[in-house]
Amino acid sequence: MATTTASLTINSSDLVGDALSLSTSNELNKAGTTTGIDQTTGMTKAYLTATTNIDIFPTLIEGSMAFAGKSSWVYICNKSLDETEYATITISGNVIGRLYAGDFLWMPWSQSEDSAGENLHGDIELAPSVATGMWFEWCMINEGTEYPTAV
Amino acid sequence: MATTTATITISSTDLLTDELSLSTSATLTGHNNSTGLTQAAGLSRKKLASGHAEYTLFDGSDYTATKAHKLYLKNTSTTADESFKITINTEEVGLLYAGDWAFFPWSAHDSDNDIKIDPSATDMVLEYMLFTDE
Repeated sequence: MATTTASLTINSSDLVGDALSLSTSNELNKAGTTTGIDQTTGMTKAYLTATTNIDIFPTLIEGSMAFAGKSSWVYICNKSLDETEYATITISGNVIGRLYAGDFLWMPWSQSEDSAGENLHGDIELAPSVATGMWFEWCMINEGTEYPTAV
Repeated sequence: MATTTATITISSTDLLTDELSLSTSATLTGHNNSTGLTQAAGLSRKKLASGHAEYTLFDGSDYTATKAHKLYLKNTSTTADESFKITINTEEVGLLYAGDWAFFPWSAHDSDNDIKIDPSATDMVLEYMLFTDE
């Protein structure tokens, strides 16, 4: 097992009347256990030049039993410096939200299988708002990984 | 305007052969601008008794789609197998197990885009906060 820690701090002196100073930290464990997660896709850095919706983890088998009931964590960061540039994040076409310039997300991901058997819910998708080129970083830290068989 | 900064750090000395040490900071700003977010809901805690499956934490119809909403969620449980399932517009996003937290943007594009949570056990407590520009 490995010990991986994810920490978040949110600070503001003027968002609310009192100073906001939120800090939290947790170790990434396998689902329902205290055993550390031990796999990762590695960090991707990508320069995207189209507004096309893309699958950011294309090498993983969607809806794979390897992911069923397992714990997966996704990090995505929009590295753009232009405040008007954002990325729309979706899971199987369902909009989660927009990542504006400099924003990041950190969320669990069930990779649940489509009830219709299309297995599309394994897709986390990202669509840049402009085609003039935007930088992104993303990675997944997880347990249970299944890759497609080579053809 | 307000200045609110969120910083994530992900670190491990043994997930990979080389040490992992990722740190990113973001100043939370509004839609298509550099003005700091000025609105917040929370920090709050919600205890969910039994029978609260698919509890609506935030109703999508209460917020505007083209805004820069950001949501913080934390499962305060200390029992490893207790989880909250997070659902957006019927899409299961993922499970927050004991101590886990998440921070992600939210597009409240219509009333179907509610943020819903589903505890795996009774009397679980979720901590949450919404940052928004409306």
